[in-house]
Amino acid sequence: MKIADCGTTYTKILDTESDELEIIQTKDLLRVSQMKFDGATGHLGRMKSDYYKNELVCLARGTQNILKSDTFCVVDVGGRDTKLVEFKDGKPLRLDWNTACGANTGFTLEIIGRYFDIDFNSLDTEDDYINVTCGVFGIERAFDLIIDGVSVDKAVARFVHGVARNVYRLVDGRERFYLSGGLVENKCFMKTIEKYADVVPLGRAVLLNGLMVCMENSDLKTGFKIP
Amino acid sequence: MNNSQGKIGFYGCPKKEVTGEIRQRFPECEWVDLDIDYGKPDSGIMPRAYCKIIRNIIDNAFSLKENMRIIVASVGADKCEGGRYASYILQKMGFDVVESKNDDILSCQNPEKVDVPISTSSIPLVEKVEKIMDTVLIDSTETFMQVKPTHGFWGVPPNDFNLLRLFPDSTHVYGWTRTVEASRPADIDLECFVVPDIPTVFYTQSFCAKSQLAKHLADKYGGLYIDADGKIGMGIQARIEAFLELNI
Repeated sequence: MKIADCGTTYTKILDTESDELEIIQTKDLLRVSQMKFDGATGHLGRMKSDYYKNELVCLARGTQNILKSDTFCVVDVGGRDTKLVEFKDGKPLRLDWNTACGANTGFTLEIIGRYFDIDFNSLDTEDDYINVTCGVFGIERAFDLIIDGVSVDKAVARFVHGVARNVYRLVDGRERFYLSGGLVENKCFMKTIEKYADVVPLGRAVLLNGLMVCMENSDLKTGFKIP
Repeated sequence: MNNSQGKIGFYGCPKKEVTGEIRQRFPECEWVDLDIDYGKPDSGIMPRAYCKIIRNIIDNAFSLKENMRIIVASVGADKCEGGRYASYILQKMGFDVVESKNDDILSCQNPEKVDVPISTSSIPLVEKVEKIMDTVLIDSTETFMQVKPTHGFWGVPPNDFNLLRLFPDSTHVYGWTRTVEASRPADIDLECFVVPDIPTVFYTQSFCAKSQLAKHLADKYGGLYIDADGKIGMGIQARIEAFLELNI
């Protein structure tokens, strides 16, 4: 079976037999309109499979399964939005999906990094930050800094810091939480947010893991060997 | 009823004595609930960042102005200050307005004992809310099969009824909508009554004063607080879906 997390900017495709994870740009998925999956989650998932499960459910079930715990707080920073699930004793305490304030920050981070040819894995962190109200406002402030003579690297690192602060505010300043999504692979972001809290990265396949749990518990009888 | 005979606009839950008297005066007229979003154009009178239901009232009234004979306006604690101000503006703009305050009952001792057979019935949530709002004008004579609740919906009828389609039929109705069925729309004790162990979504329109109650009750009962403005977006839909599913 092939299942997919069809995000706004990237689509993560898992072959459940070989356990092979393929990550493609979602723009390429959109060009191949006939491509369908056995199960899907993500913004574009509804149109790509007959079995769809929304991202918050997958994030919750995936984290629950990976941690083997019913009490946790996990944040997924995507290209378009930020999602949060807090569970206590197996019940949802908080479910958030931040699409308006803080929208498109992940995507903007990628655009700004590509434009300035930034390697986020070697970029030094900054103690100062930009208020990244949303992607567009954030990028405007980064350009203002560059015009004022701040180096490109420092301006971008302050943008990264602004995103990290948004995430920290979303979790209400808790000391420890879990992080899912592509930003876990951004070393500058991880080093920055670790200044605020003990952040445990769970990788990019948490939603796919949760999708497998949901499919296995449905009437589909998938027989998945869920990691 | 055709348009040439005119329309009576109403909003909120006016007193039956008032609606009855108007019905006698204009027996040929069609009644229109001005709270509902009929997709009418923006009249430009209201601020954009304002309760969508109150904006609907004004925009609907102006769209139907040529045929509008009279408007029955709820202006008491049974509606809100927005309803009172809307009535004032409509009168100043030349509409014939009759005001109603349906706030004789502000509190009750035993909200759990109030008879609300539609709110606790097994029909789909959209139908529950529609039938409850129908009782504003005509009492229901139907008999409803009752169901044990798995979930709760607390709040006013939303601007976008697609929100209600996300809930299972075993959802019970709470909040202002329940008070309307009980004909006591200003009863704050009944409005704040929910069954504590039932996972409940506490919904308000954005910019509505009821958001204060909704947030308080959601925190108190471990429910999901949601506010939405016009059409519900993907994020709100996902939060409700996840809350309902993860609470099974």
